[in-house]
Amino acid sequence: MFLRCTLRRQRVNRQYSTSAIPTLGEYLKRIGECDSGEGGTNAFVSIDSTQGLVSPTTASKSLAGKSIAIKDVICTSALPTTCSSEILRDFQPPYDATVVRLLNDEDATVIGKTNCDEFGMGSMNIHTSHGSVINPFQTSSSKVPWRKREQRSAGGSSGGSAAAVAASMCYAALSTDTGGSTRLPASYSGIVGLKPSYGLISRWGVVSFADSLDCVGIMADRVSRIRSVFDVLAQFDTLDPTSIPIIHRERMSFSIRSRMKDLGDNGQKSLQGLVVGIPWEYFPAEMSQYIYSPFNTVLSVLRQLGASIKPVSLPSTRYGLSAYYVIASAEAYSNLARYDGIRYGARSSPEEGSPILDAADVYALTRSHALGAEVKRRILLGSYALTAGAFDNYFLQAQRVRNLVRADFDRVFRISNVLAGSSASTEARGAVDIILHPSAIRTAPSLMPKSASAAEGLQVYVQDVLTVPASLAGIPALTVPMGYAEDDGWPLGVSVVGQWGSEELVVNVGEAIEQNLRIHDETS
Amino acid sequence: MLRIPVGRATASRCCHRRDLATFASDPRWPGWQAVIGIEVHVQIKSRAKLFSQTRTAFDQPPNTQVSLFDAAFPGTLPNLNIKCVELAVRTALAMGSDVQKRSTFDRKHYFYPDLPSGYQITQKYAPLAMGGQVFIGQGRTVSIEQIQLEQDTAKSTKSISGTVTRLDLNRAGAALMEIVSRPDMRTPEEAGAYVRALQALLRAVGASDGNMEQGSLRCDVNVSVNRKDEPFGTRCEVKNLNSVRFLMSAILSEVRRHTALLDAGCPVPQETRGFDQDRAETFLLRTKEDAPDYRYMPDSNLPPLLLTQDYISAIAATMPELPSALYARLQSQYGISARDTEVLMSIESGSDMGYDGEAEKGSAVNYFEQVADGGDPKVAANWIIHELLGQLAFRNESFHTNPVSVETMRELLALLHDGTLTGTSAKTLLRHILQTRTQIPLTQLIDEMSLRTASSTSLKSLCEAAVSALPRESDVIRKGNEKVVMKLVGHVMKASRGTANARAAADMLREILLPPKL
Repeated sequence: MFLRCTLRRQRVNRQYSTSAIPTLGEYLKRIGECDSGEGGTNAFVSIDSTQGLVSPTTASKSLAGKSIAIKDVICTSALPTTCSSEILRDFQPPYDATVVRLLNDEDATVIGKTNCDEFGMGSMNIHTSHGSVINPFQTSSSKVPWRKREQRSAGGSSGGSAAAVAASMCYAALSTDTGGSTRLPASYSGIVGLKPSYGLISRWGVVSFADSLDCVGIMADRVSRIRSVFDVLAQFDTLDPTSIPIIHRERMSFSIRSRMKDLGDNGQKSLQGLVVGIPWEYFPAEMSQYIYSPFNTVLSVLRQLGASIKPVSLPSTRYGLSAYYVIASAEAYSNLARYDGIRYGARSSPEEGSPILDAADVYALTRSHALGAEVKRRILLGSYALTAGAFDNYFLQAQRVRNLVRADFDRVFRISNVLAGSSASTEARGAVDIILHPSAIRTAPSLMPKSASAAEGLQVYVQDVLTVPASLAGIPALTVPMGYAEDDGWPLGVSVVGQWGSEELVVNVGEAIEQNLRIHDETS
Repeated sequence: MLRIPVGRATASRCCHRRDLATFASDPRWPGWQAVIGIEVHVQIKSRAKLFSQTRTAFDQPPNTQVSLFDAAFPGTLPNLNIKCVELAVRTALAMGSDVQKRSTFDRKHYFYPDLPSGYQITQKYAPLAMGGQVFIGQGRTVSIEQIQLEQDTAKSTKSISGTVTRLDLNRAGAALMEIVSRPDMRTPEEAGAYVRALQALLRAVGASDGNMEQGSLRCDVNVSVNRKDEPFGTRCEVKNLNSVRFLMSAILSEVRRHTALLDAGCPVPQETRGFDQDRAETFLLRTKEDAPDYRYMPDSNLPPLLLTQDYISAIAATMPELPSALYARLQSQYGISARDTEVLMSIESGSDMGYDGEAEKGSAVNYFEQVADGGDPKVAANWIIHELLGQLAFRNESFHTNPVSVETMRELLALLHDGTLTGTSAKTLLRHILQTRTQIPLTQLIDEMSLRTASSTSLKSLCEAAVSALPRESDVIRKGNEKVVMKLVGHVMKASRGTANARAAADMLREILLPPKL
């Protein structure tokens, strides 16, 4: 009962709490209470309990004393990095990812590593060697003890990070996002999640799923925390060849600031003159009807703040999901080829007397045993898409679709894409500052066995339909809570999507929604 | 690596048209034309690997030159070593290739213990350079299809029992250039000449040691045969040839195998073959049906490699002298023979290039040029080639360990020239330095070893001693048989330990023994 009460109260009050941020000890206590046992969230896979002893408190550092949870696909030298895979069961990298180093440099405390779908592949955090993550959320109408609440997914693949934030077990969490792995769990868990522009945050030390799509994401229970962590992490890194050079960052920063100046942003978070695009294509048949009402509420809040709403069309969106699964699977096939059990990770030994012919047999044995079903499915899919006979029809075709998806966004945004080169910038630009759409087609799916078996099929991929376009285009997308579905009372998220490098604007709009939805809730 | 680039088919067609007109048979297989193309993998002589900071020191103990990236640890990313690009661009420019302003990196996948990440980063779809040619002598040139950068593999060795595979990752991720020729060669000898010309070129620009025995240059050869007025035959690829001799032998064996098959009315199946050095014949590795699908895909970690014209021009402006230019210059500038020029240029790869293409000035040619400066170039060439290199070879030492500095060699030749040293004592002195690696100044050494040329007074007493030691021979000379003078000269030389000037001794002996000529 204590937990339920805490969670509910927190849901109401957290954005406006003026009380001090909990200490590491308080977070650890919280983890002890919520994470394990019956109905526990199962968010953490390892905890660094030694951290508190040396926790520095240099108040001048921006993240001093802040406890951050790290998704288990991000390498940490102090804790194992398993990627929720049997094949990396005991893997402890001798290095920290750049993002971990940057957090440490700002005196943040890495509190522990969080559960996720194996190598980031999944939308429900059920494909994991550590067991499924259970969403900590409980509806206000529920009468059972918190541990007996309805078991729903926290979303995936960063379900552990989402649950850790939603159950107040950390200040913020790092996640990753390849096709929605930050935004979907954030939406399902009622928290804020940012998938930054591709190339702004270093991927060095982040275990690759699909290199051209992978981004480090940030999750927190309020937008201001996302901003404080993002500002620390968004640094050029020579170790990451896809890290965007400083010149492009500065050019984009200049154009976004001058646009925000036009909009009269002088710290008041006014949205006067902001043009919000609503894409027709983001309301597919599969979308729950209970999403419309909270979404309309968000639109009226934005209008009240002075924004204008403009319908836009992103026609290539309908092909995005298929293209995404071809590209992501092909890259996964390639990136996961290194897990052979030879240099690190688990190795399956052949049974005594079984005929081992060559190295390939040992690889096959190890990979068959130690990779999970979903990972194997995607490896096979990617392997097929790259065969000489299928390459043109699948991989190259998907790359073409990807370019069309990018072009769709560039056409509607007012600010041009600094990465698109000179040819694109001369084209007539759109009028939209940001795009707004529901983050998911539904609330968190159930973890009950009946639904879980349905989640094995391909229809589970449909959950990503709204999130993959921003991934394909490499543009920033922030999901913020927009209320609860009328039918089941579970959280829903709304996504603010901007041009490449426009995080500052996207985060401001997200914060405006966050702060003004409350007023609206109370007045309605 | 086996590879059939998209562009190659087109290239073969155009060569095909040209070569129908210039059918080139060979007395060894009358009526047949052999068509040969070569793919060469060259280890780039860079300090660090292609995508990591690890040293390329292959002589180190196994698995000591390995970074996290080389071992394909999760979360590591490639970082292109621009020095490798520079050396490949030098090579391309030396061949007259068209350096591409934009090239890209791709992944080639296969599971094998020598490939830690399960893929090799290469340049399949947009290589670094296209076209170009290599001059192979006798007015022949071989056209180049393309040059691409790629990663080397690790070394895997099987235990004798065959149950254990040992891995050494030192080589994993080192930089290679793949240089693909067009099918322009018609005989094993031309193929050999092509590889030798390529070696000289690579060494001159400092791109590679180009050493086949040590594996810094490896060849795969494509061979087909056809009759006059027929299109090219089906080609077979023979992989991993590690000497020019084996390359030529493998081609010979393939041509014979193909013509025998065709003479018997059997088509040649497209195959990948290996070469058995002991039996000097090729053997089947895999058929076309077994050819692996490498599932090529663009590497999304590596952005396109964009080179500006300024960058390419800067490299062109600082290119080292190419072998053909050097060969011509040495003969015209110093008047040394073609034979001596070839010897000088062949010593230890003939290159002045260290790692990353840095000039080191350590070659025999450079040594010669410095020694010849201010002296007699022909004498310098003669002494360097026949005495210095000869002695080093005799002592089984390499040129780069040569203890005789340019200054010492110059001084030695100057002392020889002014008569302070006789040829014999100069040779003695050189051998002494090679043997003891002494740092003592030459003049001091000459005195310590009593090598100074005998003065005329001491020469006279040496000659008189010889006359009294060999009375019978002296009588023969007195009777007019001058040939016997040489025997006494030998005695003088021996007694003087080479310090006597032989010609002066002969003159002196004649003066003593013969009546003055009127």
